[in-house]
Amino acid sequence: MSGEWATALNRTLENNIPRLDKILSDYPYLEEHAERLRRAKSSVIARLDYYTKMTCEAVEKSGGVPHLAKDRSEAQRVVGEICGSDGIVLFSKTNVGLELGLRESLLAAGHEVWETDLGEFLIQLAEDHPSHIVQPALHLTKEMVGRLLHDKLDRSVSPDSSYEDLVFCVRSFLFKKYVAAKVGITGANAVAADTGSVVLVENEGNIRMDTVVPSIHIAVTGVDKIVPTFDDAFLEAQVQAAHAGLYPPTYINITSGPSSTADIESKKVIPATGPKEFHLVLVDNGRIRASQDSDLKDALLCIRCGRCYFACPVYWTLGSDWSPPPYGGPMGAMWSAIVADDTKPASLCTHSGGCKVVCPVKIDIPRVLEHVKSLNSKR
Amino acid sequence: MDYGKTQKQLYMVRDVVYKNLLESYMPLPVDRVACSGWAKNIPRSGPTVLYTSYMYQLGSVFKSYAKLLERFSGVKFASRFASLGGLFVKPNKEELERASRVLNNIARLLTASGTQVAYLHEEEPYSGALLLELGLMDEFHEYGAKLFDFFKDRDVRRLVTVDPHTTNALFRLKEYVKSDIEVVNYLALVKPSNGTGRFVMHDSCLYSRYLSMGSGIRKTLEGAGVSLVEDRMVTALDTSTCCGAPVESMSEDLSERIAKARAAKLTSVCEDVLVACPLCYQNLSPYVTSIRDIAEVVS
Repeated sequence: MSGEWATALNRTLENNIPRLDKILSDYPYLEEHAERLRRAKSSVIARLDYYTKMTCEAVEKSGGVPHLAKDRSEAQRVVGEICGSDGIVLFSKTNVGLELGLRESLLAAGHEVWETDLGEFLIQLAEDHPSHIVQPALHLTKEMVGRLLHDKLDRSVSPDSSYEDLVFCVRSFLFKKYVAAKVGITGANAVAADTGSVVLVENEGNIRMDTVVPSIHIAVTGVDKIVPTFDDAFLEAQVQAAHAGLYPPTYINITSGPSSTADIESKKVIPATGPKEFHLVLVDNGRIRASQDSDLKDALLCIRCGRCYFACPVYWTLGSDWSPPPYGGPMGAMWSAIVADDTKPASLCTHSGGCKVVCPVKIDIPRVLEHVKSLNSKR
Repeated sequence: MDYGKTQKQLYMVRDVVYKNLLESYMPLPVDRVACSGWAKNIPRSGPTVLYTSYMYQLGSVFKSYAKLLERFSGVKFASRFASLGGLFVKPNKEELERASRVLNNIARLLTASGTQVAYLHEEEPYSGALLLELGLMDEFHEYGAKLFDFFKDRDVRRLVTVDPHTTNALFRLKEYVKSDIEVVNYLALVKPSNGTGRFVMHDSCLYSRYLSMGSGIRKTLEGAGVSLVEDRMVTALDTSTCCGAPVESMSEDLSERIAKARAAKLTSVCEDVLVACPLCYQNLSPYVTSIRDIAEVVS
C-alpha cells in the first residue's frame, strides 16, 4: 500500500469504521433484520426458478415488462432494443450493468451515456475502473478529483476546491442531462417477488431522478436480488444501507411498474407524470449455475454493502488490481468465479477472516473462496 | 496482478508438496533429527502427543517455500526435487534454538497443568496445512486420511497442537476423516502464572476468527500478568488482519506488502508486538524491532 491509494483508503477506513460502529449501536434491530434477510434470500436461492417466474408475473400485473437474459450478449440485446437508436441514457451505478458491459454497448450503438452516481461519474470521466462496490472512486483523493474535474468538466474547480464545490460542479452538469434523458437505467438492491417492486437505496438523489424523469425506466439486476416479499425488499434496503455506512439512507426508492394514476373515477391510467414504460431485466449470467453448487451458492446472498473490502488486507494492498471490475475485494473473488468463470483471484485469499466477521448476512466468504481455490487448482 | 505467475507457482507447489507428503509425510526433504533435537527429555510414545508439525522449527522454510522450490525449478522439476534424497534442507540454527526454547516452555506449561505429553521425534509428520490453505482440497483430504492412519497406528489418542495452522488443519480434517483422536491446542490447556511485558497483540487469524480462541488467549495472558494494549482500528476482531504469510506461496511481493502494512499498524499502537503463531513471527519480524511469541513471555 503506498501513495495516493494508501491516503484514500486510510481516510475512508477512519471515516467508515467508527460511523458503522455507531449505526449498529444506535439501531440494534438491524442485526435481527440481517438474520431475517439471510433466511429470505436463502429461500429464493433454493427455488430460483419458482421465484423468478413469480417476479415476472408480478411485474406484468403492475404494467411493467419483465425480461430474462441468460448472459451478457442477451442482456445487451434486450437493453439495446428498449433504448432504440439514439438519445441520452443515464445510469445510476448498476454493478450488474458494468458486469454486462451495458455502457459500452449503448455508446457503440450511438447513445450519449452518463453515469449519474457521483463516484461512478468520476470513474467514467477518468476512464478508470471502480475500486469499491459502493464507493467506486474510493481510490481518488479529493485532490485527484479536483484535478480530474478541472481537466474534463469545469475549469473553475481545482485540486484546492472544497468538497462542496466539487460536488456542485457535477450536480450542475448532470441536471442538464436529467431533463434531456430518454432512458434511465438502474440496478436494484432488491426485487420483491410478490409485487414485482424494485427497491433502490441511495443518498445522492440521482436514482430518484433516473427513475422518474426519463420516459423509460429499465432496472437491470441479477436473479440473486429477488426476495420473496415486499417486506423482505425493505429489509434488504435497510441492511444494505446501514452496512454501507449511511443510515438512515437519504432515499429509498420503490418502483412497481410505470407511472400511473387513478384520479379520474378510480380508473387506472398508465402513464401519469413519470415514466411511461418500466422494464425489469433479470439476469442469470452464471447465477443459476452457482445456485446449484452447494459450496458456491452462499455467495448469492451478498447484498453488496462492501464491508468485506474494508476488512481485507489483500484488498488494502491490491485495490482494484485483485479482481476484474466491477466486483472486487473478497466478494469480488467469489463473484468473478460466478459471472466471469475466473477462479484466479480467489487464489490470493490469505484467509484473514475479517470478511466473514463483518458480513451482515454471515456468508462464510473464506470457505466459499476455499472452494473456488480448489476449482482453480484443477485448471 | 500477474496471475500467470501465481498459477505457475500454485502448480509447482501442488505437485511437489503433494508428492513429497505422500512419500515421506514431509513437504520437502528436511533434517528431521535436527528439528526434533529440542525434545531430548520427552518420551517417544504415549497416548497424548505434542504435535509441532515443525512449524516453530521450520517457520522460515515454510514462509519461503515457493522461493526454495524455485531454486530447483526446471524441466521435470517435481520429480527431480522429490528424488533429491541426499538433500536436506537445513533449518536455521538460531531459529532452531529459539524453537527449542519455545517448545520446551510449552511442554513445561503442559506438565504444570497436568498434561503429560509424548513426542514423535524424527518420526513426526507434517500436518498438510499448506494443502488446505492453498485450496488443494482433494490432496488435503487424501493426505489427511493417511495422516490420521499414521497416528492411529501409533496408538495416539490425543494430539496437542502448538500453532494455529496445524490446529485448524486437524479440525478441518476431522470434518472429513472419521477419527476418534482428540485434537486440542496447548493454549486451551495451560494456565501460566508468570508473565511479563506490555504488548500489542497481533492475533492469529485462525485462532481468533476461525477457532474462536481470541478472547480465551487474552484472558490467559492477562491472568498471567501480561499487559495488552488494544486499539479499535488495529486489534479488534474485525479490524485486525492477517500478517500475509499464507499467501507467500502464491506471491512473495503481496505477502511482504501485507506484512509491512500490518507491522506499521501494530507498532503505531505499541513498539512491542506479541504473536501466537510461528509464521506470523517470521513474516512480521523484518518490519518490527521487538516481537515475541506467547510462549516466550509466560511460564
